[in-house]
Amino acid sequence: MKSRAEVVIIGGGSTGTSIAYHLAKMGVEDVVLLEKGYLGSGSTFRCASGIRAQFTDEANIKLQKYNIERWKKLSEELEYDINFKQTGYLFLATSEEEVETFKNNIKLQNKFGVPTRLITPEEAKEIVPPLNTDFVLAGAWNPTDGKACPFKAVFAFAKKAREMGVEIYEYTPVTGIIVENGEIRGVKTEKGTIKTNIVVNAANAWAPIINEMAGLDRELIPIKPYKHQLVKTEPIEPGQIEPLVCPPAYNDSYVLQDGEDGGVLCGTGLEYGPTYDMNPTYEFLREVLKWATTIIPALKYVHVIRQWAGFYAKTPDKNPAIGKINYIDGFYIAAGFSGHGFMMAPGVGEGIAELIVKGRVTKVPLDLEWYDPHRFERGELRSAAFQIG
Amino acid sequence: MRLTEHPILNFQERRGKKVTIYFEGQPIEAYEGETIVMALHAAGIRVLAHTFQKDRPRGLFCAIGKCASCLMTVNGIPNVRTCITLVEDGMQITKQKAKPKLPTTAKPPKWKDPEKIDADIVIIGGGPAGLMAAIYASDAGAKVALLDENPMLGGQLVKQTHKFFGKREQFAGVRGVKIADILEEEVKKRENIKVFLETSAIALLQEDDTKLVVGVRKNKELVEFRGKAVIVATGAMERMIPFENNDLPGIYGAGAIQTLMNTYGVKPGDRVLIIGAGNVGLILAYQLIQAGVEVKAIVEALPKIGGYFVHAAKVRRLGVPILTRHTILRAEGKEKVERAIVAQIDENWKPIPGTEKVFEVDVIALAVGLRPSIELLHQVGCQIKYAPELGGHVVIRDKRLETTIKGIFVAGDSAGIEEATTAMLEGKIAGIAAALSAGIASPEWLKEIEKAQKELDEFRSGPFGRKVLKGLEKVVVE
Repeated sequence: MKSRAEVVIIGGGSTGTSIAYHLAKMGVEDVVLLEKGYLGSGSTFRCASGIRAQFTDEANIKLQKYNIERWKKLSEELEYDINFKQTGYLFLATSEEEVETFKNNIKLQNKFGVPTRLITPEEAKEIVPPLNTDFVLAGAWNPTDGKACPFKAVFAFAKKAREMGVEIYEYTPVTGIIVENGEIRGVKTEKGTIKTNIVVNAANAWAPIINEMAGLDRELIPIKPYKHQLVKTEPIEPGQIEPLVCPPAYNDSYVLQDGEDGGVLCGTGLEYGPTYDMNPTYEFLREVLKWATTIIPALKYVHVIRQWAGFYAKTPDKNPAIGKINYIDGFYIAAGFSGHGFMMAPGVGEGIAELIVKGRVTKVPLDLEWYDPHRFERGELRSAAFQIG
Repeated sequence: MRLTEHPILNFQERRGKKVTIYFEGQPIEAYEGETIVMALHAAGIRVLAHTFQKDRPRGLFCAIGKCASCLMTVNGIPNVRTCITLVEDGMQITKQKAKPKLPTTAKPPKWKDPEKIDADIVIIGGGPAGLMAAIYASDAGAKVALLDENPMLGGQLVKQTHKFFGKREQFAGVRGVKIADILEEEVKKRENIKVFLETSAIALLQEDDTKLVVGVRKNKELVEFRGKAVIVATGAMERMIPFENNDLPGIYGAGAIQTLMNTYGVKPGDRVLIIGAGNVGLILAYQLIQAGVEVKAIVEALPKIGGYFVHAAKVRRLGVPILTRHTILRAEGKEKVERAIVAQIDENWKPIPGTEKVFEVDVIALAVGLRPSIELLHQVGCQIKYAPELGGHVVIRDKRLETTIKGIFVAGDSAGIEEATTAMLEGKIAGIAAALSAGIASPEWLKEIEKAQKELDEFRSGPFGRKVLKGLEKVVVE
């Protein structure tokens, strides 16, 4: 194991590997990434793979519009097909009130260049043929949203990062962070100590534990792990439920076909926590199948083959904490993504790399004030980021 | 083709009412009480599907619901395990060639609360271990729910036409199929045992002190089983070995062939090559000959026969060559097995060029060992350890077969590959131990556990028990 590094990244999910890749790309030669399990094992490999710009506030819409442009070119850039597909997100309104909310959201999204439009139930049925439109009044449809393969994306970021000299250590839990006179000096792991002056906390659901190791209060950046779950069905013919389909009023439930094999992923808003328990629950299975077969009735003919859990690393306003931590020189954080880490990874990785290398973010529309990790201690909450299942 | 005459079994008696099912729209004669795939085989239909990606034909492999080889579309529902689904008059069965397409006009299902079954002890698996566990748990005073995903009780006993060894109380001299009948009768006699057939356990969960087994009956109804203790007796699954075209229809696990001919009276084929000269391979050869099927040879990679001498001698007397130090190189055939190519191997297990032999067969039987079915135990979080002597990954448990999770027990092949006799003894121990752990059985029952443990020790003391004992050393803790 290396004994010294320019930057040490803690956390090998989509965020951590993206930061590693972008740092190397910007010419940082000595980057080390530490992951307590295997790459992606925390939350990325457990996610539903969706990528969208249909948010309801300026900061997230701008960041995600940029991210979709990044995702579009990522396979070419990383020289590995990560299977990004612009299959869209289709939100469904079930009341007149919701239709009005959709209209306002669409106006805001259009203002920042996201081409969402209001569609009729008939149009929705054309996009998703097995959809049950009985409960649908209108849809918010952005065809530029999409999905990518989380497994391939993490693999591709890590592969490219390694090619450019990044050292990645898996199964290497961090046991301590050395801070002297308010400055980062090193990272202790189960396999040895690495001297460094810069640490990025990309541990998402486990970020408060890392902060504590640096001597900060866990509540300073109050990220809490909430257990969310998914079930997946056996594969069905691709092209039937390609977009992510979600009636938010139905407990934030959603369905979408996995871009890899065509199995249907089904999620719902039932969550547990804060907890680090990752066992799937029977209650969720029953709950999610009720919603899934309401949205797509023909799913009653399809078998569920898998169920698993993962964490939404939630902040009080469901917006991530991204930026410098002012109390310790050389300590950065990109965590608390509240279910949006995967879709935000390319831009966030690039933004953090810019911040470390140039001291400011110029290229990525990453609003550091909006995502300020210190906003919580000031009691300043943002409007909640739009979150589903 | 259906068997009409058999020296031991009488199928005419067993067959139910005649019904008609439809395969790709064509009517096929079937009998109530038989599974879909058995009726198809009786009608000569062996190719059940084509794979999505490479369009390769698929046929039956395990015949007990443990693999995905027999999935077909039944009454419009894709991916139905046709080996454990019973025929019904008018059933429409089609081959799958592509991933299914959903109907666009379906209506949401009507959700109702699942049936709830409360018991003291829930037993998953109605084979020799599960049946014995149910009988003894019940006698020790427990209310038992016993579920099995197959349409009949007995597990693999229902296809064993040979007589058992051992002691009289271990059913020595009795045929396996008869033992199944006896145990089933015993279970039926006991009012505090409730049996649920065609019911798959899809999850094993802990709810505080209660264990929840989530069941799905007949592929559609949810049933919740709750108990103070659970015994997992889910048996084993047939192993597969790598060779060219090992996925051709006509290549079956040995157990599947026994199911075809001994349980449902369907002739598996005309000419068979058996891979593996352990007890299963040897007994299978004898059973095939009983059913009027020609056995071309038994191929064994090891330098000596693995099974009991008496079985091997019987097979040899019937003129079946046993080729030790041989392996199968490949199967050939267009849609189904037409021949098998076998070769001798050297000390490094490499085929020796020039020693190839061609066998014109329509069935290749794989009798190359079993792997314990530990999925539910793994899912609930029991500690698992690798013990090749017991067939692979098995759970850590104590001498009374309680796993690392209090109240969850294991018995039979799912605890490690052995024999039906040891499975029954383990079932007895686990059944009583579970009743003790649930606070139901009186301490006197400890004597019965000790007795069964002694019998197990005796049974395992022979040369064939050595390997098992070595495996048990790794996984049995105090």
